[in-house]
Amino acid sequence: MITLTHFLVVSACIFCIGLYAVLAKRNAIMILVGIELMINAAILNFVAFGKYDKENYGGQIFALFAIVLAAAAVAVGLAIILNVYRHYKTINPEKIHELKD
Amino acid sequence: MIVVLLPFLAFLVQALLGKKAKSGNIGLLAIAGSTIMCLLGVFMEVWHSTTMSQRWEWFVIGKSPFHFGILLNNLTVLMQLLVCIIALPVHIYSRAYMKGDEGIHRYWMYLSLFCFAMLGLTVSINLFQMYIFWELVGFSSYLLIGFWFTRESAVQANKKAFLVNRIGDIGFLIGLSLLFSHFGTLDIVDLFGTEGVFMKGFLNDGSWQVVDKNTLWITVAGVAFFLGAMAKSAQFPLHVWLPDAMEGPTSVSSLIHAATMVAAGVFLLCSVFPLFNDTVLLIIAVIGTLTATTAAIFALGQYDIKKILAFSTISQLGFMMVGVGIGAWDAAMFHLTTHAFFKCLLFLGAGAVIHEMAHLKAHYRLDIDPQDLRQMGGLRKYMPKTFILMAIASLALAGFPLTSGYLSKDSIVISAYEWASHLGGGRILIPIALIIVSLLTAFYIGRLIFKAFFGTFTHEEAIKEPISLHEAPVAMLIPMVFLVIGCLFIGYSLNPLNYHHSWLMESLHVNMTFTVVPLAHTIIPVFLTVGTLITWLIGWKWYVKKAYPLQAESKWILFSTRQGYLDEFNNRVFVQGTEKLSLALYWFDKHIIDGATKLLTRFTTGISTATHWIDKYIVDGFVNLAANTTYYIGHLVRHVQNGQLQAYLGFAFTVVVLGILYLIIR
Repeated sequence: MITLTHFLVVSACIFCIGLYAVLAKRNAIMILVGIELMINAAILNFVAFGKYDKENYGGQIFALFAIVLAAAAVAVGLAIILNVYRHYKTINPEKIHELKD
Repeated sequence: MIVVLLPFLAFLVQALLGKKAKSGNIGLLAIAGSTIMCLLGVFMEVWHSTTMSQRWEWFVIGKSPFHFGILLNNLTVLMQLLVCIIALPVHIYSRAYMKGDEGIHRYWMYLSLFCFAMLGLTVSINLFQMYIFWELVGFSSYLLIGFWFTRESAVQANKKAFLVNRIGDIGFLIGLSLLFSHFGTLDIVDLFGTEGVFMKGFLNDGSWQVVDKNTLWITVAGVAFFLGAMAKSAQFPLHVWLPDAMEGPTSVSSLIHAATMVAAGVFLLCSVFPLFNDTVLLIIAVIGTLTATTAAIFALGQYDIKKILAFSTISQLGFMMVGVGIGAWDAAMFHLTTHAFFKCLLFLGAGAVIHEMAHLKAHYRLDIDPQDLRQMGGLRKYMPKTFILMAIASLALAGFPLTSGYLSKDSIVISAYEWASHLGGGRILIPIALIIVSLLTAFYIGRLIFKAFFGTFTHEEAIKEPISLHEAPVAMLIPMVFLVIGCLFIGYSLNPLNYHHSWLMESLHVNMTFTVVPLAHTIIPVFLTVGTLITWLIGWKWYVKKAYPLQAESKWILFSTRQGYLDEFNNRVFVQGTEKLSLALYWFDKHIIDGATKLLTRFTTGISTATHWIDKYIVDGFVNLAANTTYYIGHLVRHVQNGQLQAYLGFAFTVVVLGILYLIIR
């Protein structure tokens, strides 16, 4: 049988891959992709736990909300990246370090 | 009191009057007043009766009070009267002798000061007061010797006199301190009187204790007092100041250096006589003999009249010291008194001669020294009265019978012989030496008289016109006549041959420790008289007939003339020695002491340089180290905030993971 654990492990894997993308990619859009992956992993977690709420279907509903919010977040993120690109002429996060001391 | 204070008042008045006190009447009146007072008021009352004394408290040091006051006993009133009687004719004489001198007001001032000091010395009640007057006498003598201070020789002479006297003052002071520290008093009556410490003993913690006179400190004290007397009374070797002191006016020399000041030393010794033990007395006698002998030898070769008389004084003082040393201090005082008269007379006479020679020199513009014997001769024709007076004084000096000098000098010689035969041993040399010195005395004084008054006048051929040498003025002659009375025997004793009957000796009588040898009383005087006549015969032949056997430049005579080269010796040893010592000390100071200072400086500089280095590299180094470490750490940590997004996220994630791990494991 496919138990809850299987879902969680898959979700964790996806999360880690997203985390890796956030931390180690030199392209800001790839960082967005990583963020998206992490959100998707969280959504998967929700759906997995939704099995225990048969009256309200809370897990499923929240997952829908989360998908929408993820899209919104990516939109905003893209807007920021566009502005950043306009200012810094690059989207390599390593090259953007004006907040250093 | 009045006796002492009158001359002091005269001194003050004359000092105030300054240049106007030319005639010197004030000083004269003062001294005349003193003499009369002394004679009638003091002498008559105290002589041969009990001692009188009076004390006033002066100041207190710690627990011991110091007094000043007057002591009147036989000894002191005799000295007092002597000083007054000698000073009076000198004052009268000075009026004529110093006439026309520019500094005459100073002269009277100093003369009065001297009389005051001398009189004060004689009546002092304790040794401290005596010391004060002793120094004052020395000081006035300094002033008077250097009276003609524009002369270089006079200035050197008075400096020498003062310095040599100072050496004696140290001795006096040491004696004073020793006595005071042991007995707690300096009072003459308490110490030396018949009830005094030395006779009866003193209270020591409640029990009477007799003074043991053989302890070391008594000997030292005795020697110390004798040292004081040695300098003042010109004993060998501290006699060197007296011949040079002849730079002063002759009247001064007659008063100070013949009769009074030099007698102060003898007076001191007679006052403190009970202090001396046998060792000290022997020392005194030996030095006295030595002085008498050397001075007589030196007198033989002198050409200056005053220097001959100066050495004669030294020689006679030697006699007096011998008198003290053998225990017969009454004989010494007797000789002092007679010596005062005839020596003063000799000086005054010499002064008259010098005065006339100086007139001659000025009148004829000769280039001579008025005091030089070789320039004189045959003055008997021109100054008969002076000649007679000086001749009588010379007889007294030589100890010819019928004079006072005969009594006093023979008293000493005979007593010395008795003392020597009583005690035996090598002491017989002392009377023998004294006899020889007496013969030498006769010879040199005969030489003086013969060379000056007999023969032909040296300049008679040089000056063709009749010479205008006068007799001395009356004002000079009268004092001399007054003094000559004291030279004859009548003043002292009705018996011209036996000195024991003299009223002076009888009153001052001292118990002798030796027995009287009657044979000596006749043999010695006869021997001396015969010897004197023989020496005069020889002198007559040599000087008047000019049959002089020795060369004038022979070594012996030079030795005598140059005073045994004593002055050169003193100069070489003391003066140049001191100069060399001071040069050595200067070198030491410059190189060694300054060198030490420089070394210290360099050392300190080195230390400061090292400290500076330490400060700069080590102390500052620590501080810099701390600062740099902090900077480095900061530099390291700064990389945390590098503005890189992904780094921040990485850190945050790491912390979260660590937290979760921690929670799981806990």
